[in-house]
Amino acid sequence: MEIKRKFTVVGAALLAAGVAAASLTGCSSSGTSSSSGSSAAKGSYTFWDPYPQYDATSDWAKVIDTCAASAGVTIKRSGYDTSGLTNKALLAGQQSNSPDILLVDNPVVSTLASAGILTTTDQNQLVVGDVATNILSAGVIDSKTYGVPIGSNTLALYYNPTVLKAAGVDIASITDWTSLTAALQKVTAAGHKGITFSAIGTEEGSFQFLPWFWGAGADLTQLDSTKAESALQLWTDWVKKGYAPNSVINNTQTTSWQEFQTGDFAFAENGTWQKADATKMGDLVIPLPAATGGSAPAPTGGEFLTIPVQKDTSRYVASAKIVTCLSSTENIVKTDNTLNYISVGKEAQAAQLAADPTLKPWVDAVQVAKARTGDNLGTKYPKISEQLWTAVQKALSGSATPADALKAAQSAAK
Amino acid sequence: MTAQLSVPARRVRRRGGWTAWAFIAPVVIYLLVFYAYPLARNVELSVRDYTVRSFIDGTAPFVGFANYRAVFANPTFGPALLNTGLFVGVSILFQFSIGLALAVFFVRQFPLSGMLRALFLVPWLLPLLVSGSVWSWMLNSDSGIVNSFLEAAGIGQINWLTSPHWSLFAVLIANIWIGIPFNLVILYSGLEGIPLEVYEAASIDGANGWQKFLRITLPLLRPVSAITILLGLVYTLKVFDLIWIMTRGGPADSSTTFAIWSYRLGFGSLLPDFSPAAAVGNLLILVALIFGLIYIRTQSRLDPA
Amino acid sequence: MRKRPWWKTVVGVILTAVMLFPVYWMINVSLTPARNMRKSPPNLIPIDATLDGYRRVMEQQLPFLGTSLVIGVGTVLLTLVLAAPAAYSLAKLRPRGGSALSFVLLIAQMIPAIIMAMGFYAIYLNLGLLNSIPGLILADSTIAVPFGVLIFTAFMSSIPDELIQAAKIDGASVWRTFISIVLPVSRNSVVTVSLFAFLWSWSDFIFATTLDGGGDFQPITLGIYRYIGNNNQEWNAIMATAVVASIPAAVLLLVAQRYVAAGVTAGAVKD
Repeated sequence: MEIKRKFTVVGAALLAAGVAAASLTGCSSSGTSSSSGSSAAKGSYTFWDPYPQYDATSDWAKVIDTCAASAGVTIKRSGYDTSGLTNKALLAGQQSNSPDILLVDNPVVSTLASAGILTTTDQNQLVVGDVATNILSAGVIDSKTYGVPIGSNTLALYYNPTVLKAAGVDIASITDWTSLTAALQKVTAAGHKGITFSAIGTEEGSFQFLPWFWGAGADLTQLDSTKAESALQLWTDWVKKGYAPNSVINNTQTTSWQEFQTGDFAFAENGTWQKADATKMGDLVIPLPAATGGSAPAPTGGEFLTIPVQKDTSRYVASAKIVTCLSSTENIVKTDNTLNYISVGKEAQAAQLAADPTLKPWVDAVQVAKARTGDNLGTKYPKISEQLWTAVQKALSGSATPADALKAAQSAAK
Repeated sequence: MTAQLSVPARRVRRRGGWTAWAFIAPVVIYLLVFYAYPLARNVELSVRDYTVRSFIDGTAPFVGFANYRAVFANPTFGPALLNTGLFVGVSILFQFSIGLALAVFFVRQFPLSGMLRALFLVPWLLPLLVSGSVWSWMLNSDSGIVNSFLEAAGIGQINWLTSPHWSLFAVLIANIWIGIPFNLVILYSGLEGIPLEVYEAASIDGANGWQKFLRITLPLLRPVSAITILLGLVYTLKVFDLIWIMTRGGPADSSTTFAIWSYRLGFGSLLPDFSPAAAVGNLLILVALIFGLIYIRTQSRLDPA
Repeated sequence: MRKRPWWKTVVGVILTAVMLFPVYWMINVSLTPARNMRKSPPNLIPIDATLDGYRRVMEQQLPFLGTSLVIGVGTVLLTLVLAAPAAYSLAKLRPRGGSALSFVLLIAQMIPAIIMAMGFYAIYLNLGLLNSIPGLILADSTIAVPFGVLIFTAFMSSIPDELIQAAKIDGASVWRTFISIVLPVSRNSVVTVSLFAFLWSWSDFIFATTLDGGGDFQPITLGIYRYIGNNNQEWNAIMATAVVASIPAAVLLLVAQRYVAAGVTAGAVKD
């Protein structure tokens, strides 16, 4: 009896604590005005994005609410982990439970479009504003536009001036791969660490490798070309000689940045989203060098606003209004500043530059960036990308030579 | 007397039959809806050729065993099979023996034994995202604490997570660590169930500690050990989160098990490929099934009642 | 006899310390500022400690912890309600097809969680259970119920038949016998199954993300994703969440340990 009472007490205490804490949810849930159950009632729209780091009190959530209000509807926003969002979108699409607006990473747009769960601008009557072609191309398949970008980001080479000075390296001398490797040699000889990047076996790894891949002049349809091999050889040599740490094989872009933050490294390849952090640390940035000089084309990052297929097509009207509102110049500059992205239209970019002239190198980089699924690669890209990062992993970990790894990659990607 | 009892006995037996099924019925329905249905869907996914489009509109063509044949022919199949075998075998071996050793250690009360035993279960509470991440952190080639210790001890840096030779070891260590609490709990309670009189009788007969362990403890613990090992096998076969977080099955498939491979095919790239993923998943279930059958066979041989 | 326990305590403490080193490391990381995250070699003690992670957890994660608690308790209750009667039936009432059912329960545990979660999505959508707490309770119970039935069956088989017979002679129905005689005697296995069910539900991620990703009430395993943005991860906050999340479960563990210990698979006193 005594034990039974003890259990009842413990159980009741747990339950009470749980309910009390859960009731605090009223103050901070990820949605705003919620629709009951899973089916949205008329007038209540659903919005999925890959930003779980922003909750209902963030600027991002507020701008969504404002745009929804101006379209005359209430909206429920949910932030999901970006790596699981594709699967969720497909699962929802299969059950005709798609959200009204879906914000996804740009290389995934073609996958979702080919699955048939996204509407084209013909279907949803969305008017695409001023968007640079190179960025929009990720959302254009067979001349049909499936979405508009919320902003863009890309990669560049951050450097630590203190470390470079201590090693006697002049940043202006770094113009191509040879000079970069020479600088790395000098830096490691002086007792510091060379360069850090992310070569992990996910899309992030491919993303980070592409500026070198394209910088050598290689093409994604030909993974085993000599140019591609030279790019992979560059990285492999760096790791072998200790200019880049072994941990790059498992680094995400975040952990790579954390290595750079220790102050030991001279260089880090990372993205626009770190610029605020870099400025705080006193680090500067130059474009990633191409093999023989000039800037290497970097891939475009950033998400696209898409309108999934709905049974009730009259919903597209309000959805399109919300999307237009979110991508309007005024809102997009505010949003992109929050996300640390670069705007995608000339007018918006000018506004960003006017407010913050230090953005110039990033604006320039975005203007020459390439979309990964562009050149009509579309749904071929995911397979190619997976083989590319696998090859990089094999070469860097010593399981295969760059040539063999890329040859295997090309035959698997066919 | 007998006549009076025979009528209630018959009534009880019939009532027992109906009541017995009434007690079980909820679980049977539960099993059908929540286990049979996803399993059936998975089998269906594996015998059709699903693209993302046909996943949405349901028009995938029936391809029979083509997906399975492709899986067997895939170059990853061999390494995945080997890694799965090694991973499961070594994990169970160490989880069980360390768990048993600890259970034996704790079975006689000593000061603080209750609290220490409870503390041993803490690894179990952590979400796998966290355990996996902590181990990743500790085993990092350059900034990991384990390598710091190794370098201090003069052994030098080991690339735990990034070398094809060491990646399987790294995930094994983490998995053994996570599995010890489960084994400890079950084996401990099994040990507690062995009455002390048996040991005392053996002491009187002159048996020493090791002999008592081999001749008394192990045999009496057999049913508990069997179920612990079987469940451990089934759970270890399914292990996915840990390896995914630590190495993603890499580099170059060196730590890829069937569970990892299945997930990677389905969700590891930007373009989900559900059919081969489902095929590998079903192969996994098949392997677990075979172990289950072996267990049943061993059980019935040990315990003919 | 008096001298032996002390060296055991020392050895016990050392073993526990080794086993818990990763947990210590988790606490260490939770107090580490971002710039020291990848310091090589790492600090053994958090010299530059920052309470940033914990501050954010206190501000943001409590609702998630509460939800996890509710789901955990719910899972325990549902598991017990489903598993105990079924196990009693398998152990004592011996219906026809009982051993087949045991086998099926064994197989049921072999299905990987992702396959189950994807299958549940369609069911939940049609039943309106998506993004709801009862939905997650139901899903998490699928992790514990087969295991629960197996443990209960093993335990209840060893309850002496005389006890059950005595009740029957007194005129008790099967249900009455179950409630008044079998359950109280099975208290240790009840505690064990409850413990497993709670812990498995507490650390579940796959069901949570597939079936409750967009809900207003999310468990702590999803709450952690607050700190995992699309481009950035904040490790000290993630680890701080884990530390704070471990506390209720650790308390539960300490309370329940005593009962789990006392012989799950052994029965009531055997003659």
